[in-house]
Amino acid sequence: MSRTMTVAAKTASPAGAAPTAKEGGRSALGWVLHNVVWIWLIALVVIFGLFNQFFFTVNNMQNIMVQATVLGMLGLAVALPLLVAEIDLSLPANLGFSSAIGAMAYSDWGLPWFPGMLVGVGVATFIGFFNGLCITKLRMVSLIQTLSMMIILQGALLALTQGRTITNLSDGYVWIGQATIGGWPIMPFIFVIALVGVGILLSNTVFGRRVYAVGGNPVASNSAGIRVDRVKILTYTLAGFLAGCAGFLLASWQMAITSNQGSSYLLYAIAAPIIGGVSVFGGRGNVVGVLGGVLLLTVIQVGLAIISVPSFYVGIIGGFMIFIAVAIDAIRVRYFS
Amino acid sequence: MTVPMTAGSQAADDYVLRVENLGKVYGGAVALRDVSLAIRRGSIHGLLGENGAGKSTLVGIMSGQRQPTTGTIYLDGVALGHADVPSMEEAGVFLVTQEPMIIDHLSAAENLMLGIWPRRFGFVNWRKLRKDAARMLAGTGIDLDRPAGKLDAVARRKLNILRAMFSGGKVIILDEPTAALTVEDRQQLFDFMRRLKADGVTFIFISHYNDEILDICDAVSVLRDGILAGGSEDVGSLTSAQLSELVLGRGLVLFQRERREFAEDAPAVQLRDVVGPSVRVPALDIRPGEVVGFTGLPGAGAKELARCIFGLTPVQSGTIRFADETETHKLPTHPRDAFESGIAFLSDDRRRDGAIGQMSIGANISLSSLASVARSGFLSKDAELKLSDRYFAAMGIKAPSAAVAVDTLSGGNQQKVCLGRVLATGPRVLILDEPTRGIDVGVKQDVLRIVDELSRTGVAVIIVSTDTDEITRAVDRVCIFENGAIARELTGSEITNDRLRGLEPS
Repeated sequence: MSRTMTVAAKTASPAGAAPTAKEGGRSALGWVLHNVVWIWLIALVVIFGLFNQFFFTVNNMQNIMVQATVLGMLGLAVALPLLVAEIDLSLPANLGFSSAIGAMAYSDWGLPWFPGMLVGVGVATFIGFFNGLCITKLRMVSLIQTLSMMIILQGALLALTQGRTITNLSDGYVWIGQATIGGWPIMPFIFVIALVGVGILLSNTVFGRRVYAVGGNPVASNSAGIRVDRVKILTYTLAGFLAGCAGFLLASWQMAITSNQGSSYLLYAIAAPIIGGVSVFGGRGNVVGVLGGVLLLTVIQVGLAIISVPSFYVGIIGGFMIFIAVAIDAIRVRYFS
Repeated sequence: MTVPMTAGSQAADDYVLRVENLGKVYGGAVALRDVSLAIRRGSIHGLLGENGAGKSTLVGIMSGQRQPTTGTIYLDGVALGHADVPSMEEAGVFLVTQEPMIIDHLSAAENLMLGIWPRRFGFVNWRKLRKDAARMLAGTGIDLDRPAGKLDAVARRKLNILRAMFSGGKVIILDEPTAALTVEDRQQLFDFMRRLKADGVTFIFISHYNDEILDICDAVSVLRDGILAGGSEDVGSLTSAQLSELVLGRGLVLFQRERREFAEDAPAVQLRDVVGPSVRVPALDIRPGEVVGFTGLPGAGAKELARCIFGLTPVQSGTIRFADETETHKLPTHPRDAFESGIAFLSDDRRRDGAIGQMSIGANISLSSLASVARSGFLSKDAELKLSDRYFAAMGIKAPSAAVAVDTLSGGNQQKVCLGRVLATGPRVLILDEPTRGIDVGVKQDVLRIVDELSRTGVAVIIVSTDTDEITRAVDRVCIFENGAIARELTGSEITNDRLRGLEPS
């Protein structure tokens, strides 16, 4: 805003004061629209709380934060390819498949749970790396390549589990999903660590700067001396790693791996970063936005359950709430950028 | 200001298009203030001005793309109320933008008839379309079945102009139609415009080049900072210096480099056996502090060689050796390697291949030298700020601060940001591809001056340009490319505008 203000000051016209006041109103509106996700989030918390006092309890807040953890890790993972103007649809399927591999490494191959878990996260990371190779070196279209990878991984998970749910997870494996410190669950701390880590990576490192540059204009980035393919492969690899961690956390929390583990997260994991301001055209967005998107979606889900909306209506009401957030954001982009 | 004001009282019929007291305010910024001018029927009317002077806003209003805040447009003497693009096109006013609106995979004929397909029973009548298109394209040398993507730049521009005409265009506004054209192409385009003018078409012609305005226009209007700075209905009475003064509002000193002879110096860089796609250069030496011009027709090898040296185009063979090194290296295979070995390159296509528009000026400046402002991968904000502020100031970029996003800047300032970025890498060899294309005459002098000063510190500079005037002013030596090879070199006083123009094969 400061830029338009100075311009307005320079062209001091006889009616100089009037446009300045108007500018002020405009900037206030701009601020509201800019932070619409957070304002909408607070509004929904208040509304849900008015319907049911239980919503404001510490217990429920903890529940929301635990619920937000897996979606948050996955949302961060999805945001990374989006920032370089690509997409990875296979991440939720990667989450399910890799956690099953990790569990089987423990139950079938006799590895202790911790190395088994590392195998699972490693597999997820490698799948991310492989996706990156396909879309850069083979020039496959990321939308279709990762769609096919998603179908492959969903099928592989079904084949691995033979349609059954894996429940023989060791106590060590499920510990992190259940443990609490002073009554507070540990899971959200992992999300916070991931959030801060990715945040620092994006805003304080050379790699992060390159991610934004590649997403903003890949051709210009190449000419500016950025190895665009390498940056893209790294973002996909990191996304795979985060999905693997999310897979471990989800299995540990649920103490089970179903034959379609993770699939239900697909649309929410893509919606969360986009609601939070990550551009599907690349180069725009940050982790704070992702956090906002994740919390908004989680609050909607939990809130609708708590105020006992009949399950037949949860989908349509939740959908509308997301729609409103995205529509307001679109208005912001249209009038304020 | 003086000339058009009398137009209102005279026979309105003389003027096909007239605007009175036009004003346009964006947010708080005044883009256009109280502009009145009149376009004589069947004339070519030049529109001159620096980047951001309001030319695009003015023609945007004239063509109905933007709505004026104040003022009136008269077409054939009739005041128009609300004017949008369809109604202006209906009335015969067409804007032909810098980027030809052409669909590459459709044929020339289809592009010509885009949106105005001759129809029969609701289906496109292909036979009539081809017949009409063939008639329109007769004598233009454009093959009507050729995919538009395979046409050269002039043919594409012509196609765009023809389409405007064919849709009933009486007034055709050309926004910098000569950018990226060679002297040859330019003349061809001008001949074409003169032919259409003889048929009664009126043109409004936006250009950065005085010689073009003087060459083809009947009348001229000059905009400066959103106001009409002056103009003339008789261009013949104006000199190039007078035009420049109107554009800038002060006497402009055109940059002229003091040429030096470098023959005895040890070369700063030696290129050997460069063979790449459509380029073959056995040997080229450049001395420290020398500015070498690469020129020639498009595709002749000047641009191609530059891109090979920087690693943007893969080569079959080619080595480079710097003065202070004993061993020769293969040419870089990626711009990253090029920057690291001290070769910097500025692309000719700012939009596609220049700055990252949504990033700040500062982030763009440091983008190619991030390693130098980081420790083990973590950016040092202080070091980065120091680097970006230094080049932000040195380039004279007109912006409130280096934190402003680049896509809010004018073309000339964006070019300065890009130049700042490549200079921040501290190059030994600087390659500039059309460094002043599409930027106004004032910024152009700034850019050439910066390059001149840099060369005095011992940097070897290559300027790729088809602008012969720029070449004569900025370089010590010219390499003229033909068929992928250096056909001739000119040095010192041999470098004259006429000689360079004459050397273009006709």
